[in-house]
Amino acid sequence: MDAILGALNLIADPYVILLICLSSAFGLFVGAMPGLTATMATALLVPVTFFMPPLPAMAVIVTTSCMAIFAGDIPGALLRIPGTPASAAYTNEAYAMTVKGQAETALGAGVVFSAIGGIFGTAVLATSAPLLAEVAIKFSSFEYFWLVCLGLTCAVFIALDDPVKGMIALFIGLGVALIGLENPAGLPRFTFGVTDLMSGIDMIPAMIGMFAIAEALRIVAAATTRLPPARAISGSIFRGQWQLTRKYPVQILRGSTIGTLIGALPGAGADIASWITYATAKRFSKEPEKFGTGHPEGIVESGAANNAAVSGAWIPALVFGIPGDSITAIVIGVLYLKNIIPGPMVFVNQPALVTGIFALFFLANLILIPFGWLAIKSARHILAVPREILMPIVLLFCIVGAFAVTNSPFAIGVMLVFGLIGFLMEEHGFPVAPVILGIILGPMLEQNFVTSMIKSDGSFFGFFNRPIAAFLGVVTLAVWGAMLWRGLRAIRAPQPV
Amino acid sequence: MKFHDSVCGAALFALAVFIFAYALTIPPMPGQQYGADVFPRLVAIGLGSFSLMLVWRGWKYSPKDTPWAAVAPWARDPHTRGNFIIAFVLTIGYVLLDETVGFIPLGIAILMILFVRQGVPWRKGALIAVIMAVMTQILFGQMLRVPLPRGVLTGWW
Repeated sequence: MDAILGALNLIADPYVILLICLSSAFGLFVGAMPGLTATMATALLVPVTFFMPPLPAMAVIVTTSCMAIFAGDIPGALLRIPGTPASAAYTNEAYAMTVKGQAETALGAGVVFSAIGGIFGTAVLATSAPLLAEVAIKFSSFEYFWLVCLGLTCAVFIALDDPVKGMIALFIGLGVALIGLENPAGLPRFTFGVTDLMSGIDMIPAMIGMFAIAEALRIVAAATTRLPPARAISGSIFRGQWQLTRKYPVQILRGSTIGTLIGALPGAGADIASWITYATAKRFSKEPEKFGTGHPEGIVESGAANNAAVSGAWIPALVFGIPGDSITAIVIGVLYLKNIIPGPMVFVNQPALVTGIFALFFLANLILIPFGWLAIKSARHILAVPREILMPIVLLFCIVGAFAVTNSPFAIGVMLVFGLIGFLMEEHGFPVAPVILGIILGPMLEQNFVTSMIKSDGSFFGFFNRPIAAFLGVVTLAVWGAMLWRGLRAIRAPQPV
Repeated sequence: MKFHDSVCGAALFALAVFIFAYALTIPPMPGQQYGADVFPRLVAIGLGSFSLMLVWRGWKYSPKDTPWAAVAPWARDPHTRGNFIIAFVLTIGYVLLDETVGFIPLGIAILMILFVRQGVPWRKGALIAVIMAVMTQILFGQMLRVPLPRGVLTGWW
């Protein structure tokens, strides 16, 4: 109870409220701007959060991500260009509704069901995370080893179409994590005499590079940067939403549940949740023939799912220190910078922070409705902001953001190298998210592996001696078996080069 | 440049071989069987295995007319290729010159050049570049106390 009161007290601070309002506007703007993603918005905010206490920093990230994931629906409905990948699944549907003169209903569904999904996901986060943390507090290196393995494999197995390239990306990330002194012997590894490499590759410049610079380079290299003009929204966006809620309660519940679960799986975030729930909406619909013609059912389910996934992704991040998606990967980096190690002990040592994060999620999803309404009403002006001006500014902010991590130009170099790697990887069909997961989880995996091997005197059977470790181990091995089978099948399918 | 999957796989396999070879040079931890060399070897084996799978898949199943290397559409157009290279070179230039020249002049130059390349009229571009660079200096340099280098403007305020 003290923690709840403490958290509410922290959130009621005018400074935090001001930050929530500012980050709402920022998140809505970035999410609505095609080419700028919710992850990029979070990455760009990192240097600003350096100078804030932990809870205001989390307020900025939580609010921005919730708003940005919804705001991706706006250009999707008005221009048929998704603002973020999380809106891509139902962009055609929303645009078809706009063509039919139902843009208000499509965008209203986006706001209302995003908020409902987000609140559902938050409720699951707030109830399940403390319970999981109580279990996780008893974990030893064996359980953590399997948990990290499971998380890394799920990220590749569930989230990606091409497991071979996904695994390669993951091993590249684990390879990057080898650099520096952070290893069992404390020996310099892969540093080649460069002093700046002794402390390893800082994950924040690497993430800014892969998520923001790579995207900025892609847009700078694009032939056209101008967006077509968007129509103004004049009618009420809330008209008809109650009817949709009464007509599709199962879809709302299913979308929110699947979204939360997918969000909680490491590596799979709002975009995957959105695609899967659009497919389930169509699969179980009584009117599947209407999908693609401007039918709101898929928007209701997927819209709820992608915001539910944003909250769900915080479950593994807070409880185990394993990011649920690319946004929580950045969150983990920010928490480390504030000397807060995500994991079960956060629930013991920082209860007000944890409760504050839950409260922030509730608040962000509630204010999504008025802020979302404002964003939709001003969509025409937001989308008129020229991207040819925006992208160079993003590049400059990336430079400042990377520099602010260590106050050294070396971090800008790291950012640039990872930006180029991210750009090249995406050009060749390699996903970048597993690289970041590998960088974050590599040290944890190595430490738990080596510690466990030493504890068990080199016997691999030691990894199965404890009941939870044995269970996690069997599940991990089963996923690896399924992955191998899928890989062998996929290997026969020609891949576009 | 866009490379065939087999070429990518071969390059990544070479990287895996390098990691493994480097791991062999890491001294063992005294009195312990598992030291700093174990994990790099495992990473190298994993990376190498999947790289070989990529080589084999690309060689066996890619369409026969797939080139080993092809120029990506954006790189064929001199304008977009130029934009990419300039953005990249400007950032490297910033890393090399930030202490000497300082954030504000370099920030203005970077923004200005990129704006003009992207088709923004130069007067408008110059105005926005100056405003943005100064605002960024005020926000990060003064308010958030990031020590952005002042370079040639040292002592001006």
